[in-house]
Amino acid sequence: MKKRVSVFIIAILLVLIGNYSCERDDLCPETTQTTARLVIEAFDVSLQDESKNIFGLRIEGIDDNGDGIGVLDGYNIVSSSELVLPLRTDADITKYKLHSNYAVNNNGTPDNPDDDFIEGNEDIITITYIREDVFVSRACGYKTVFRNVQIRVDVEDLDDDEWIRSIQTENDNQVVENEAEAHFILLH
Amino acid sequence: MKQKHILFYCISTLLFILVCSVNVQAQNDSIPKKTNDSTVVKLKYGLRIGVDTGKLIRSFLDDGYTGIELVGDYRITKKLYIAGELGNEERIIITDFLNTTTKGSYFKAGIDYNLYQNWLDMDNMVYFGSRVGFSSFNHTINEYLIYSTDQYWGEQKRLETPIEKDGLTAIWTEILLGIKAELFTNLYFGLNVQLKVKLTETNPDNFQNIYIPGFNKTYDSTRIGVGYGYTLSYRIPLYKKNKVIAPVE
Repeated sequence: MKKRVSVFIIAILLVLIGNYSCERDDLCPETTQTTARLVIEAFDVSLQDESKNIFGLRIEGIDDNGDGIGVLDGYNIVSSSELVLPLRTDADITKYKLHSNYAVNNNGTPDNPDDDFIEGNEDIITITYIREDVFVSRACGYKTVFRNVQIRVDVEDLDDDEWIRSIQTENDNQVVENEAEAHFILLH
Repeated sequence: MKQKHILFYCISTLLFILVCSVNVQAQNDSIPKKTNDSTVVKLKYGLRIGVDTGKLIRSFLDDGYTGIELVGDYRITKKLYIAGELGNEERIIITDFLNTTTKGSYFKAGIDYNLYQNWLDMDNMVYFGSRVGFSSFNHTINEYLIYSTDQYWGEQKRLETPIEKDGLTAIWTEILLGIKAELFTNLYFGLNVQLKVKLTETNPDNFQNIYIPGFNKTYDSTRIGVGYGYTLSYRIPLYKKNKVIAPVE
């Protein structure tokens, strides 16, 4: 009787271990901080303690050829004081068009899109950084940490009129590793 | 992949039932006639060596696994055996974001203690054992895709040249529970399950030991690992000892 019991216990253990080793735990949890996006907070240039909304904001990334790649999700003509920009993990440079007071003027002819023009003020920013691939976990694999992040506001864009006065940070070597706090301050 | 695993476990379970029935059958045959005299039987002592057939079968079924394990034990008393395993494994683990190969060798040494009361000179085991294991291994990170929740810029960076993480070691202890049945004279088939606790490991720089040869898969939240073995082994009989069985009242 005793031996039957022990054989039975072993059988159960075998089944349990069989299930245990089949269990897949390779789902990366959403709470894990993987590759972080760049967070910029917008402030009033005259009242630098006050956060100030950018009205009619439209954000679009620019690829290596200088072409727009389509509007960034969540920034298709919005009012916002916080900009959350994904950085390229396959290049050391990311470019964005930040367009304030964006509007399409149909020139009085709503049926004819050919003579439409875009209103507002478009500024281009160039973000440069050094990339480092850091191991997170077996499920998430590797993430990119961006070091020595610098932002330049392009003054050689289409117009001479920049709505962005400056983009600043307190650190010499600004690191983008988590999204919990703003990395840069934009004055406008 | 998963289907292969299921198939493997089905085959395993069948083998298990087969071995159990052999065991029970054999016992029924050997119920002794009632006697008032004490009986003296000879017990075989010697070195038992074999191979883990589970790992061999898995090497054929699973593209991501190649492994061999030699097993051995030496009987020192009626119930106690010195036991050990020696193995080599190569395991490829592929997820959506990571593709790695782990290669290495290991050995385990310890004891087995037989809990089973054999009839007469029969030689089956229901045993528990303990081991200390040592593994020396390396990882190759063949490929990774940077993990990002944002896909605005399209696909993320992909690693192009493999990275090697060499010279890694791990030490663990394990307890195991198993059975061994003598199918034919001196030929044994055994099953065992192992519960392992990792003691130390060298952690690779900017990576993690996701698999350790001999220890098997590691888990993020715990130092515990599991394993199983299906062994086929042959005893080289060296000498015999008498066992006196008291008469049944």
